[in-house]
Amino acid sequence: MPSSSSFKEEHILLIVPGSQTTLAQLGLPESFTPARLRISTRMFPAEKKGEWEPLKVRERKVTKTVTTNGTEPTDGDISMGDVNGAEQHEEEETLYEEDPTTDEGAVWPIRDGRVVDWSCFFALLTHVHNTLSPTLHTPVLVVTQPAWTSRDHETLTQFFFEKFKTPAFCIMDAALAACYAFATGTATVVDVGYTKCDVTAVNDFIITEDGRATGMTGCGGDAMTQRLYDLLSAKGFSRDMCEQLKKNSICEILPAGTELPGENQGSQITNPAAAASTGATGDSTGNAPRGPGVDTEVGDEDQDRLKEGEADDGVLDVAGIVASGKTNEFLARKEKEKQDKAAAKKAAGEVAAAAKQARLPNSKRLKASFQYTERRSPDELNANGKRLAEIEAAESKRQKSPDLVTPTSATAEHFDTALARKEERRRHRETFIRRDIEVGAERLQAASGGTLEKIADAIHRSILSVPDHHKRTELWESLIILGNGSKVKGFRDALLGTLNARYLISPSSTTMFTSELPSTFTTPGPTGTNTPLPQSHSSTHHNPSGVNPLLLAATTSHLAPPGQSLHSQFQMQQVYQQQQQRVQQTQMMEQPKHGQTPMNIGVKKMPEYFPEWKEFGTEEASFLGAQVAAKVVFVVDQGASKGFMTRTEYNEMGPPAKFKHYRSLRLFHS
Amino acid sequence: MEVVGRVLTFNAFSQGLMNAADEISALVLDPGFSTIRAGFAGEDVPKSVVSSYYGVVPLGASKTKYLYGDNSINVPSPRVTIHNPMSADGNIENWDRAKKLWEYAITSRLTSAKPANPILHDKDDKVEQQDVEMDGMDEQEKPMAENPLLMTETGWNSGKNREKAVLLQRELATTTVVVMQKLTCHSFSVGKASALVIDVGASSTSITPVHDGLILKKGIVRSPLAGNYISDQLRLLFSTSSPQVPLNPHYLVSSKTPVDALAPSQAILRTFANGSAPDVTFRRLQEERLLTEFKETVVQVWPSGRLAGHDAQGRNNLEAAKNTPPRPFEMPDGYNQAFGAERYRAVEGLFDPKMALTDAAKPAPQAGWTIPELIKSSLSQVDVDIRPHLLSNVVVVGGSTLIHGFTERLDNELKAMFPGPRVRLSAPGNVYERKFASWIGGSILASLGTFHQVCVF
Repeated sequence: MPSSSSFKEEHILLIVPGSQTTLAQLGLPESFTPARLRISTRMFPAEKKGEWEPLKVRERKVTKTVTTNGTEPTDGDISMGDVNGAEQHEEEETLYEEDPTTDEGAVWPIRDGRVVDWSCFFALLTHVHNTLSPTLHTPVLVVTQPAWTSRDHETLTQFFFEKFKTPAFCIMDAALAACYAFATGTATVVDVGYTKCDVTAVNDFIITEDGRATGMTGCGGDAMTQRLYDLLSAKGFSRDMCEQLKKNSICEILPAGTELPGENQGSQITNPAAAASTGATGDSTGNAPRGPGVDTEVGDEDQDRLKEGEADDGVLDVAGIVASGKTNEFLARKEKEKQDKAAAKKAAGEVAAAAKQARLPNSKRLKASFQYTERRSPDELNANGKRLAEIEAAESKRQKSPDLVTPTSATAEHFDTALARKEERRRHRETFIRRDIEVGAERLQAASGGTLEKIADAIHRSILSVPDHHKRTELWESLIILGNGSKVKGFRDALLGTLNARYLISPSSTTMFTSELPSTFTTPGPTGTNTPLPQSHSSTHHNPSGVNPLLLAATTSHLAPPGQSLHSQFQMQQVYQQQQQRVQQTQMMEQPKHGQTPMNIGVKKMPEYFPEWKEFGTEEASFLGAQVAAKVVFVVDQGASKGFMTRTEYNEMGPPAKFKHYRSLRLFHS
Repeated sequence: MEVVGRVLTFNAFSQGLMNAADEISALVLDPGFSTIRAGFAGEDVPKSVVSSYYGVVPLGASKTKYLYGDNSINVPSPRVTIHNPMSADGNIENWDRAKKLWEYAITSRLTSAKPANPILHDKDDKVEQQDVEMDGMDEQEKPMAENPLLMTETGWNSGKNREKAVLLQRELATTTVVVMQKLTCHSFSVGKASALVIDVGASSTSITPVHDGLILKKGIVRSPLAGNYISDQLRLLFSTSSPQVPLNPHYLVSSKTPVDALAPSQAILRTFANGSAPDVTFRRLQEERLLTEFKETVVQVWPSGRLAGHDAQGRNNLEAAKNTPPRPFEMPDGYNQAFGAERYRAVEGLFDPKMALTDAAKPAPQAGWTIPELIKSSLSQVDVDIRPHLLSNVVVVGGSTLIHGFTERLDNELKAMFPGPRVRLSAPGNVYERKFASWIGGSILASLGTFHQVCVF
């Protein structure tokens, strides 16, 4: 295809839409990186119906003070105090401003992995496209959710060709993209999203549609939040708190059968940090979580205060006291202080015990606390000048108030340097309140609502639907668990634990039978492909148990420098196929060990030739896969295998042609 | 293409004529007892394979929630019951649910719930919105308004049922509906105009002679000895063997401990709160999944001669079966056993009624129900002249024929019955081609140019 030969790596546009976050990038870097553009998959309805805004636009009613003496009207925002003009009247005016911090009123066009609002989704794609401002020679690769229908693919193709005049367009299934990222052709891809989970068995780069679990609701990250909410709502937790708790590292999913902490421990031990910052006593489990309260701040300022407090401790101006004639009073006060100190010591003992508790791993601790960032209500935010002035006042008061110590020259200096920082913090505080919340063992039960079982069942179902019986062993051994829903600490291990506990065939039976089996016997293969015609004598496949050809391929790729690994990516498929043939030939002679699967369950490791991804984690590996695929499809292959559709083809065939293309793409992968 | 025209039993009173028939690919729908296959014509595999079972969750006095698709019916929800709109012989009984299931099969993977192309409707969004609100139901009920539809039916479907299907289809698709006989589709899928099609599915086994693309209706024979029968035989085998083989599906097991073969399982079974346990029909569906795995990995057909008979050297086949290496299977609760000769017994009933496992509730099948007898009676109904044609083109399709050794045995049986004429058995080697044969046949048929002509008439 001569027209397509000019695609350059720096021109390729990748878009990976998800229910929550859409990833995009223009151009393929030398070494593949995590997505450069991450935006929330949401748009805000604009005033005109059918039009959308990327950010929330707030109407702000501003009272303008118009003075009649001819001076410019001042913005009433801050200068409310300036009320000494002679003749004034107030006018209401509406200001529009973008608020990047809110989701309020947003429309999320993808729900449960399906596009529910195309108008909004198109607006989002346009927004992404405009943000990255690609060239006219930009081929586009979109990673689609498994739940999208053929009609959806068609619509999307039409949109890209007609709206952006894209020269070449490629649609790729998220499960396939994951396979590309993990450099494998055969894997079971478990994509845990926000409200849904997809399980796909990919066999030699071909998706097994039969038995594929697409858009399975009730087992994504949102389901875990909901579970936490169900458990904690009685204790005064809001859904937002649960969401933040889920994202915190203290929320952990324990493998099935692990004992929850605290069932046999006393409840008097508490987290010292929580006690310090909230003033909560040990048995706060039954109460609503206590924060420091509105307008107080956790963090630097407390430390500042402590530092200043230290200064007036210990050094006594005895002469002054005696001179003042209040010795008795002073002694009484001193006595009281002593008592306080003793009490503090006692408290310190408790703290030490708590510290001991704190040294335990999170999963064994009775309680833990996390910092909760709460948004102020919009009403509170909308209240203009007055509110701000209040904050200002509180601010300045606090600056002076701590222990009523007048700032020394040193602190004044400190005050100066920290001014900018404080200003920033003030702005943040305007919209958010931070406080510590303590949570009990519920934090370890996010997936206790049957989420893991549901996913495990879907995995079992998907793999058993693969017709090539001998492939099932390999599929069980190469799970790919990704998606941001799987980010919750311990999720993967817990899922593996569930799979092992429920589906693993115990080795006892196998060993028994392999030892009993006379080696000369030939057991028939597990597949029924046995037309008794001499010419159609089909080969009997057996469990691949020898050398994993992918392992070999992966290791060879691993040795190549990062730049070259991409080319080898493409070669890898060939290597893989050759290897596969060889393995199958040798296996013809071998005995099948066990018809039933799984004998072993394992996860695939992501290749480590991209240093950026190594640190980033594998949750968004689909994006890496998209980069690899884009390189293969647009640059290496250059359309020789018809991996994408060109604009000319689109003009000739129209949107339905995408079906055929999609298929040929899949054939190309195989 | 004369053949196609004759074979189609198309519906003349479809109103919407297709203007650009060539550009829009037809939908092919092939409902079966265990799965519904749907996809676009011209593709090699159905993109949407949906379980024919659906779940019913009672929500209150008069409210019920229906569950469609594998994702939801396999979740042990409280009080869920599982149903199938098909009767045991593969004809549709519950038309309302069948329609919903078909709709689900098509909208979940092929077209979206709303037929309209959102790009085209961007401009008059306001009008569109109102429309949707007012008769949104109507919009929803025609999920594939733009595509003609080809639907398969069983060869023994009554005319009344077919009319019903056509009427129902008109609710689903606004353009065109063509109802095709499944078995014609089968022969199309293997590219033969004349064939004796042996289809062993879940609910029934059927044999249909097709000559020159025409189904010889009088030659259609069928019996209920198919996949479900094998499952029942397995249940009987498990309950009568000693020790009894426990049949606890995965959802009932919360954790298992490895045990030795034949030792009682030590699994902790899941308990459900009073009144929230799923219905027995749910359990049955889950058992069926387990039995399918068992059929795939353990069950075998004795390949040569009757299991009760003797081989050429006069040795007892049953004895020979006992000497074959057993195949182990582990139940979800950890119980495991090596199945020796008994793994041949479960399917032997399909060929030899005397060898079928029986108890008081399940008598031996009628002698005429076995596959060899069905072939005999089918052939006896057709003209003597075409019998050799048919015998040289015996096509084996259906998921249950994937049981190991099935085709080999069938070949032997045929050769034993008809020693004279050239008997040739052909079974697609590809698992999909065998499981989805009627869908693939429909896909080929609907992608032919003549199909669109039929639609326009």
